[in-house]
Amino acid sequence: MAQSSSASDLSPWTALLLLAPLTAVMLLILIYPLGLTVWTSLYNGRFSFDAYVELASSTLFLRVLRNTFEIAIGGTLVSLIVGYPVALHLAAQPPRRRTAYLIMVMLPFWTSILVKSFALVAVFGNQGLINQFLGFVSGGTLNVPMMFNRVGVILGMINFLLPFMILSILGSLLALDRRLILAAETMGAGPLRIFWKITLPLSLPGVLAGVLINVTLSIGMYITPALLGGRQDMMVANLVDFYTRQTLDWTAASATAVALLILSGLLVALLGKVRGSAGLAGAGA
Amino acid sequence: MTASSTPAMVELQGVAKRYGEVNALHRVDLSIAKGEFVTLLGPSGSGKTTLLNLIAGMITPSSGRIVIDGRDATTLPTNKRGLGMVFQNYALMPHMTVFENIAFPLEVRRLSKAEIQRKVGEALELIQLGHVANRKPRELSGGQQQRISLARCIVYNPALILMDEPLGALDKKLREQMQLEIKRLHAELGITMLYVTHDQDEALTMSDRIVLMNGGRIEQQGTPDTLYFRPETVFSAEFIGSSNLIPGTVEIGADGSHALNTALGRFDAPAPERAIKAGEPAVLLVRPENMTLTDAATPASVAGHIEDSILLGGVVRHFVRCADGSSLIIQELNQPGRSGAHRGDAVRAAWQPQHGRLLPPAPAG
Repeated sequence: MAQSSSASDLSPWTALLLLAPLTAVMLLILIYPLGLTVWTSLYNGRFSFDAYVELASSTLFLRVLRNTFEIAIGGTLVSLIVGYPVALHLAAQPPRRRTAYLIMVMLPFWTSILVKSFALVAVFGNQGLINQFLGFVSGGTLNVPMMFNRVGVILGMINFLLPFMILSILGSLLALDRRLILAAETMGAGPLRIFWKITLPLSLPGVLAGVLINVTLSIGMYITPALLGGRQDMMVANLVDFYTRQTLDWTAASATAVALLILSGLLVALLGKVRGSAGLAGAGA
Repeated sequence: MTASSTPAMVELQGVAKRYGEVNALHRVDLSIAKGEFVTLLGPSGSGKTTLLNLIAGMITPSSGRIVIDGRDATTLPTNKRGLGMVFQNYALMPHMTVFENIAFPLEVRRLSKAEIQRKVGEALELIQLGHVANRKPRELSGGQQQRISLARCIVYNPALILMDEPLGALDKKLREQMQLEIKRLHAELGITMLYVTHDQDEALTMSDRIVLMNGGRIEQQGTPDTLYFRPETVFSAEFIGSSNLIPGTVEIGADGSHALNTALGRFDAPAPERAIKAGEPAVLLVRPENMTLTDAATPASVAGHIEDSILLGGVVRHFVRCADGSSLIIQELNQPGRSGAHRGDAVRAAWQPQHGRLLPPAPAG
């Protein structure tokens, strides 16, 4: 029986009233600027699709777009490969120690991305800790460029993406009934088989959620490629910045932004379909 | 009581488990014969699940030795012990179909595809669930899921099947069906089974032997009959069946005949199996079904008045309040034309002295 206080019994007017503040805020800070962007991309003295046509034929845009997807997918894959074992280890800890470890995982969140990026330069840069060490042991002949190129962007990005990946996978792993593992053990299964046949398939929802969040976050990445990437590693968000501040071409900037929004929306929808549930596709957008 | 003619399937030698300061299990010696159906019965915290987990290898003992099928398994990992286990929550793999679930232990054993096909088919046949092979576990009822999990055990023919309250999540009627089903499978397959439950009826129904656990120790073990009719302690008497317990002090006559002096009178009783000295405190146990309501003042009877009578179908249970304030339960068969006893009626609860049983008093606390 539905209780009289249950949410489904609210009158439509009360519901509308409760939703009104959020609706107003979203209209003001999301829908209005977005509408304005779409409008700017279409209207420049007169109404036309010229900006999009130009975009589609611009080698710069297409190259930047390819960069963006390569970096986003590459960063996500590295984050998955690095993050899964961490999540696995965290899931195996007793709750109190897990909490302590989780704080370490979350630590990067409490640091400004700017500070983190410069810290990475101090470690991975040409004069950084690692190259100083390599130079010392090789007698000054060895120097591996790891900053201001693709490697730098991915390093900077996974530093930011990893917590999201780890937390998503950890959620799935913790929801996994430990008795399933015990049951498999009593049936004689070894750790490897248990991982491939039980742990991994049952943690797939978390993996896909993590991948989705990582791709979405990295596709719009701006500061990291600007600070840690080379000239070849421009991403779409940097291109938008280039148009708005360097060439002052707001129409091109708007069209680029809208194209990015649509493309990442399609990607999210695709990943959501793979996951077989529309719920997260909506949450990740 | 342990079957010494057949070789032991499981042998626990002085096995104990401590968690810090807490003794989950005191030194326990237990032997389970091949093909035997043994139940670990006890309240929660009695150590029965600890004992099961020790045998399964999910925890290692603090001391003692575990031998399974003639092999020292004290520190052997779970997956090398060759066991089967049935869990209360079924523990079926949710992402696998029924077929894949039952095939899993066979794949572990690297059987051929054809062999797996055949064996899974047979196992499903055995539990009469062949038609659900391609469904996922969550599409099945609790009873069906537990039968699948039984089939998953039986299919690879383990030497020993452990069951951890497997019927705890099922309703009463289904539970009774499954009890019979498990018993049938045990009789047909002859697999040694170790069954954990807190339900005395389940233990009495299914077991060759019941091991009654209390406070991390084995309180008493024996056949269901032994535990019911010849409990050795007040705990055993109270945990299995209902019981009337009358405290008093022991009196031993010159001819060795025993009697108990109680607040309700002096009652003759058979000599206890474990001697109790004259003058020592003891408790007289009389099962409710061995008591009758009567008007005549026989030697073994207590006066009181009926406080309540409840009808349980085939039997009637009377609650009689005695003069000293203690209360007795009398259980009689329900028959047509049974003389009605009414609340407040003055009656006598009588029993045959040979049906009484003297037990040492329960330890304080």
